[in-house]
Amino acid sequence: MLESELEIELEADGSTKTKLEYLTIDWFVNDYIALIAGKFLSPIGQFRQNLHPSWINKLPSAPPGFGHDGAAPISDTGLQIRGGFPIGKIRSNYSLFVSNGPEYITEWDGAGFELDGIDAEGKGADRDGEKVWGGRFAILPFAKLEIGISAATGKATVTSIEDELGTAPTLSNEQPRDYNVFGFDYYYKLGSVLFRGEYIKSKVGNATSGVSASDGGVWKTWYTQASYRIPRTRLEGVIRYSDFDALSASKDQKQVAIGLNYLFASNFIAKLSFESNDGQSGATSDDDRWYIQMAYGF
Amino acid sequence: MKNILLYTLLVNLSLPLAGFSADLSKKGNSAVGAKVWSDNCGRCHNIRDARELRDDQWKTTVFHMRVRAGLTGQETRDVIAFLTSTNNPPRRNIFSGSSSTSSSKTKLSGKQVYNQTCIACHGENGKGTLPGVPDFTRNKGPLAKNDKTLIKNITDGYQGPGSPMAMPAKGGKADLSDNEIRAVLVYIRREFGK
Ligand code: HEC
Ligand code: HEC
Repeated sequence: MLESELEIELEADGSTKTKLEYLTIDWFVNDYIALIAGKFLSPIGQFRQNLHPSWINKLPSAPPGFGHDGAAPISDTGLQIRGGFPIGKIRSNYSLFVSNGPEYITEWDGAGFELDGIDAEGKGADRDGEKVWGGRFAILPFAKLEIGISAATGKATVTSIEDELGTAPTLSNEQPRDYNVFGFDYYYKLGSVLFRGEYIKSKVGNATSGVSASDGGVWKTWYTQASYRIPRTRLEGVIRYSDFDALSASKDQKQVAIGLNYLFASNFIAKLSFESNDGQSGATSDDDRWYIQMAYGF
Repeated sequence: MKNILLYTLLVNLSLPLAGFSADLSKKGNSAVGAKVWSDNCGRCHNIRDARELRDDQWKTTVFHMRVRAGLTGQETRDVIAFLTSTNNPPRRNIFSGSSSTSSSKTKLSGKQVYNQTCIACHGENGKGTLPGVPDFTRNKGPLAKNDKTLIKNITDGYQGPGSPMAMPAKGGKADLSDNEIRAVLVYIRREFGK
């Protein structure tokens, strides 16, 4: 089976943005194992693989730290096996992958180069030659509760660098740095209220040789969300709290997002939301925002 | 303060290359499928309408969701069996007065039908296990309607205005006879009605 997803976004200025989120070939080995090859959504946590499509996400934005250069990886290129099996009466599901992993970004911080972000979006070419492996395991003690843990480990290298003039010095002999990710996620349904949340931490090691040699760092984020579908109406209310702790303080963000949705159908949704953000003062991460979104998924 | 307006269209493409037709050689059980559907298919996104896709489209989609949701192969076949039977209620036998599908099949009691097929969505207490499933015990709930309407809605399936989820024809168990449908309605009225 071939799977792919194209996201087309029409922005307020009239421009459109099209993105290939994933493209994989799936092969069902037996009742418990499917083998996936290609560019797939990162199996770490639940937001990226299960909730990011905008007709599914109950808010117009991803929680801070779950976007680009965040704490949670976006996609991977490689091989994955996944599936589910019962443990007695309990349902469980798993995924295991090996991939090209991410690459790192460094910037000039006045005194030297400093790590600026993790570019964890499905690298087609393994420019740094370093592999990453990991996975997720989740159990559903009963249908209304799912608890998952995920982790990934490996090495990756700096492949993008910018100096004080905004130009890129030539990289040579960059030392591969450790890459470790840990995640925890949950889903719980209580009557008509859905709760979910997750915690993700990415840790990058230091490098002592190479042009970009510098200390390592940690990016971590968590959110928890509650949503309520008002019975016998098409309205849904949602509230989400997130706290993203990036390596550079200017990207840190605490956020409260509240939203009201109207469901024309299960796959066609209109959303209105307000985000109150608390970041470093003066930084864009401190700006509050209103969103209106219409999302349709086939 | 920034205001942002987004229109997002998501195009998902799944193509059934060779590979899973073999998996469909084993049989699925539609009653189990109704339970797998109600337990799993509303976890990540709002539950979809069982009638929104054609059978062949559902096969591809459910295999796609098997990968997302970590279902086993058997659960996948059960959900497909459930969706196929909801989409294709077998034609009634117009020649015989009673339209029971097969006389060799042993007749189930109302309680048996309820516990095998209806309980997945309507729950042990009749209050419903999913958003969109009505509470039978409510005073002005569905049981306020007359038998003729209810029998028709159980037989053919039903979706009220503004309702997020449809009642699948015969609860997804295509071989229920008219007698069994009448029996299960009697059982529902007795257990959950006022
Ligand atoms: C673990 C989360 C999860 C569960 C559980 C789940 N889905 Fe989905 N579903 C998704 C995601 C994510 C998408 C968007 C497509 C994608 O990214 O794969 C989707 C898309 C869909 C679509 C749109 C068509 C398509 O193929 O994209 C349908 C229909 C659907 N799901 C039905 C179901 C059914 C039926 C079940 C129960 C067997 C189910 N879903 C269970 C996450 C889930
Ligand atoms: C897959 C889930 C599901 C299963 C299985 C199911 N139902 Fe339903 N049922 C629903 C939903 C959802 C509704 C509400 C539909 C609406 O109001 O739009 C409903 C509504 C009803 C109603 C009220 C109809 C009306 O006119 O308001 C009756 C009676 C009923 N179901 C009986 C049954 C019986 C009997 C069975 C077993 C043979 C069964 N259901 C199996 C989901 C299910």
